[in-house]
Amino acid sequence: MSKLLDINDLKVYFNTEEGVVKALAGVNFKIDKGSFHGLIGETGCGKSVTGLSILKLLDNNALIEGGKIIYKDENLLDKTEKQMQRDFRGNEIAMIFQDPGSSLNPVFTIQDQIQESVKMYKKASKQEYRNIVIEELKKVKLPDVEGLLDKYPHQLSGGMKQRVMIAMMLACNPNLLIADEPTTALDVSIQAQFLQVLKNLKEKFDMTVLYITHDLAVVSEICDYVSVMYAGRIVENVPVRELFKNPIHPYSYKLVHSVLGVKTLLENLEEIPGSVPRLIDPPSGCRFHPRCEEATDICKTKIPQLKKIGKNHYVACHRR
Amino acid sequence: MIKLVNTIIETKDLKKYFNTLKGPCKAVNKVNLKIKEGETFGLVGESGCGKSTLVRTILKLIEPTSGQIFLDGVDITDYKKKQLMALRKKMSLVFQDPHSSLNPRMTVFDTLSRPLRIHNLTKNNQETMIEITKLLKLMGMQPEHMIRFPHELSGGQKQRIGIARALAVKPELIFLDEPTSALDVSVQTKILKLLNKTKKIRDLTYFYISHDINLIRVVSDRIGVMYLGQIVEIGKVDLIYNNPIHPYTKGLFASVPEPDPDKKIKGEPLSGEVPSPVNPPMGCSFAPRCPFVGPKCREEKPQLKLLSDGRRVACHKDNLK
Repeated sequence: MSKLLDINDLKVYFNTEEGVVKALAGVNFKIDKGSFHGLIGETGCGKSVTGLSILKLLDNNALIEGGKIIYKDENLLDKTEKQMQRDFRGNEIAMIFQDPGSSLNPVFTIQDQIQESVKMYKKASKQEYRNIVIEELKKVKLPDVEGLLDKYPHQLSGGMKQRVMIAMMLACNPNLLIADEPTTALDVSIQAQFLQVLKNLKEKFDMTVLYITHDLAVVSEICDYVSVMYAGRIVENVPVRELFKNPIHPYSYKLVHSVLGVKTLLENLEEIPGSVPRLIDPPSGCRFHPRCEEATDICKTKIPQLKKIGKNHYVACHRR
Repeated sequence: MIKLVNTIIETKDLKKYFNTLKGPCKAVNKVNLKIKEGETFGLVGESGCGKSTLVRTILKLIEPTSGQIFLDGVDITDYKKKQLMALRKKMSLVFQDPHSSLNPRMTVFDTLSRPLRIHNLTKNNQETMIEITKLLKLMGMQPEHMIRFPHELSGGQKQRIGIARALAVKPELIFLDEPTSALDVSVQTKILKLLNKTKKIRDLTYFYISHDINLIRVVSDRIGVMYLGQIVEIGKVDLIYNNPIHPYTKGLFASVPEPDPDKKIKGEPLSGEVPSPVNPPMGCSFAPRCPFVGPKCREEKPQLKLLSDGRRVACHKDNLK
């Protein structure tokens, strides 16, 4: 399968009043065309920053210190703001965010907001725009589409808003969709509906998705391949079945065994000692070593690199 | 009185309506519930189903619209401020979001000494110190945490302080309103194990509320499933999880993704969305989304019926299995 996106040793730092936060310290993963790629990790590990870096939507205090983001043979990090806006954002790579309530503009109708992105690449009459918007809304299986057009975001439920977000993004026909925790604000039944819509769309339009989440159960539900992230680094790149059957990195292992399933018992759940490090002053060597039961001296001094240990399976650990 | 010996909390036809511009919002609509001493009861439901309102009403943080609440067999529905003081020592609450439920300008010592002082549980500062040290130890924290402010603590530590605050008055019953939903999974495990241990040490009764279905299963002895202000199924946890009977329970459980790539959710287990509690359906509140809906369901509200295995289900369907 061909690579659509290749992130190579990406480093992103943030200048803050307290010092430099090393949010991403070497992120490496590749996304195959047509795959559903999960990026998983706990709060503050840099998942969202990775997503935002791909679109170069980072705040002003962010410094891209090094690395490459190769999208279809072009390094996005070399592109100017103007090129990004014209050639990539929306029509090549689109993103949907966690909270659908705050990513829609409250003072514009649904039609206005979706057709705004259509207008970027297509000139048409009012009626034609309206028809395009209706088509897009039908793709995400929203009920009573005509009635929705003139509604405002506050008149819609959370699940509907998130579907509107997808419709908006579909309107530009992107090749890569970055979804940053799209179901975290939704209830399970609505989440199940949403995941179904996403699965259908992926099959129909051969979309590639980077799915950022902290929820391992959702990952197992929809992803083909997973990158596990810890404190700004990728610790394991692994096909989804392997992750659940045979997680290799000690952090991935603990993570997989701390998820509640249908049959888990409280006694069998794994806990990870300590807490996530502050990235202003991250641990030396392997960033997981202070919490790792198997850590030795080398883990404290040398940064482990991703090495191949199986088919499409890469792990960054000195002990494996 | 005698039949209520084991029951710590009981509600009878409890209702809580909120007045809105569009009419009364029926947040809690005729809930009958019994919580037995020493058990862990889990209330599960999606956002807006009335879980939190129910708990707040039972705790008398908000006034019920109608119905009765009994604590240890005594009707507390009409208790006023002074009488409620005594009640606050028996039941306490742990909030969902530890980041916003702790006062950012109070140290851990201030936060934990407050309930002790208000209820005159300690006579002087020294006793307060000893008591707080004990509480911190129970929570797996150090005495030096006493002088910290909330922003100096991690999410998990903050929630430990939230739990310690609830424990300070030595209650019999603790309500846990989504105690881990703001925390990461690795921290969640620690808090759940800690709560479990504390329950044994302090001989407590727990009332969990959560939208996380697997979490409720792991911690509870008995569960209730709530939909649009009403309990639709209630009974022993294993019974309901192994064989959910109410169509809503079935759909809800089938919507939960399993952490196993070989088990996928089939289709859309629940279609449509939850109706507004301001204008709930006439008959069964689940009727508009129910795949088995019949004419009776649209006209008459089903009451909880006792089944042979001991659970109760509110559904008009015949031969419920």
